[in-house]
Amino acid sequence: MKIKIRDRYRAILLIIMVFYSLFVGLINPAFFSIETVFDLIRTSSTSLMVVIGLLLVMISGGIDVSFMAVALFGSYTTIKIMIAAGIDSLAFAFGLSMLIGGFLGLINALLINWLKLPPFIITLGTQSLFHGIMTTFIGDKSFGAGVLPSCLNKFGQAVLFSFQSDNSRVGLTASVVPILIVAAVTWFILYKTMIGRGIVALGNSEEAARRIGFNPSRIRLFVYTYTGLLSGIMGIIYVAQVNALYPNKLVGDELMVVAAAVIGGTKITGGQGKISGAILGVLIIYLLNSTLILIGLSSSWNDLFVGAILVVSIAVSSYQERVKNRKNLIFTE
Amino acid sequence: MNKIRKLAAGDINFAILIALTLLAIVLSGVFIGDKMFTVANIQAMAYQIPEFGFLCLAMMLSNLIGGIDLSIIAAANTIAIFTANVLNGRWAFGTDGAARIILAICVALLASILFGLFNGLLISRTSAPSLIATLGTMTLYRGIGMALTGGSSVGDIVPGFSYLGKAKLLGIPFIFWIFIIATGLLGLVLSKTTYGRALYLYGGNPVAARFSAINNERMCRSVFLLTGLFAGIAGIIILSRVNSAKVGYGDTYLLQTMIVCVIGGIHPNGGKGTVKGVLVAIIFMQLLSSAFTIMTLSPYTKKLIYGAMLILVLGMNYFINKLIQKYKTR
Repeated sequence: MKIKIRDRYRAILLIIMVFYSLFVGLINPAFFSIETVFDLIRTSSTSLMVVIGLLLVMISGGIDVSFMAVALFGSYTTIKIMIAAGIDSLAFAFGLSMLIGGFLGLINALLINWLKLPPFIITLGTQSLFHGIMTTFIGDKSFGAGVLPSCLNKFGQAVLFSFQSDNSRVGLTASVVPILIVAAVTWFILYKTMIGRGIVALGNSEEAARRIGFNPSRIRLFVYTYTGLLSGIMGIIYVAQVNALYPNKLVGDELMVVAAAVIGGTKITGGQGKISGAILGVLIIYLLNSTLILIGLSSSWNDLFVGAILVVSIAVSSYQERVKNRKNLIFTE
Repeated sequence: MNKIRKLAAGDINFAILIALTLLAIVLSGVFIGDKMFTVANIQAMAYQIPEFGFLCLAMMLSNLIGGIDLSIIAAANTIAIFTANVLNGRWAFGTDGAARIILAICVALLASILFGLFNGLLISRTSAPSLIATLGTMTLYRGIGMALTGGSSVGDIVPGFSYLGKAKLLGIPFIFWIFIIATGLLGLVLSKTTYGRALYLYGGNPVAARFSAINNERMCRSVFLLTGLFAGIAGIIILSRVNSAKVGYGDTYLLQTMIVCVIGGIHPNGGKGTVKGVLVAIIFMQLLSSAFTIMTLSPYTKKLIYGAMLILVLGMNYFINKLIQKYKTR
């Protein structure tokens, strides 16, 4: 029964998306093209990458708001080293950035395990700390397209397949490859391994998870490190797409990704969440973002719509949970 | 001496906080004393404390009940935008002069109560965790402000209003008086009334509070209503000092208010902490940010220091509590 409700929730999201797209298409027929789809995937690819990591953290009952700072730290440091040493290898970029990201994620996990305080406060602190360390000790200069390693630009412009549309060639960005791989790996970890089951158990009840033999601290170590790894990948993808390196981008957009995960049906108190739901959440936000201009509103209406959807989805899902709990005489507050 | 020892044993966090503040005063006096402790700078600090202080009080209240309110800064900015729109005549309904200022303040207070009540209703009626509920309302409130202004600042307000931000009473800024009175009242309510006791119990253990005949939902609503009200007052003060309102003013305040609450001895899980701790922490924080301004630190360095501070204070609290536990069990 419970599974049905969650599935229905995602179906409703999908129906809303379809109807909204139809509405936009009626006002502006130019919206209906394969170009729009490819564009949506390209602009949302960075958020798709991190929302998968955040999803695992949220299923385990935690939250992470430092992942954008981690992504920036990883990519900025890596690319600065590459420019200085003259390395031009995509594998090196991803490898080192993932390593740095994983290490920073590990620091988050250690702090949360050690201090036993709400992860929001700790990761809010580390977000500032990581960004501060990076800009103070590593560098705070921007790098333009000219000095960046050329493999990054090639990756950012690469397409899987492309065809001729009315006026230009359109193609599906190669950034979907890492996202698909990560989504598949994450699905496997979450549903087919003990650690994945442990993540869900930890999110539902830490005490219960401990009693059946899971080690909550170790699960947290894994989850936050994994998010760090994905943030490292995401940082490189972002730089490749923008084709420039800034020390102050990304940081500050974390809460939009959290919002996307929540809209996608992830339970903030943990234990529930689907990869497909989180992906839908990101796509809805980016769809709104890119179509408001097409239906005649300026982009400054974006926050209002996202906020309204967010509040409604929080209210609906929390209220369902509360009714269910009250029926079983469970009082969480 | 005995008295001091008693005081320190009673509330070791508060004693440490006082020591830190004194240390900050002495250190800044030694190194940059010629710029730090001029009459002009102390005046400037007294003007800057209220807007930040009210936001801290709002954050403190939400932390006391084990929650968090992310929407305070967005609410303050959007309320300031409403107020500015009344004051520059767009929504003035034909009023002018003093009547318009009174109307503007009424609009601001009404809007802040509505914003706070909306948070409270959302959280109490649906049992949504406050972190995520206020993330939603933060986006919503900022969205209202963005949709109204398109991101540009609303200015051109009647000159009489900025007098509120400049006025002095007995040599001390009027807004500082308001802040001191509000802090005092809040301290009294929290420590001396039934409502205050109920609030601490609700924050410490909501389930126990529910079964002790405390109306949890009303408690939650009232706390978020107060939070919204404080955010609104902060918005009015910001408008009167800056003379214009825009979305995104003071975004770094979120981290700073969290630091103030943590240093001030408010436990993020709720139920612990006092107003006097937060008041000293606000002064400490203002000393620091004034010193940073005088030393012309870059925003990046400030970010590093604030981030490190939050983590260090959390770690320090952890160790102190562990020591106290050890001391008690022995």
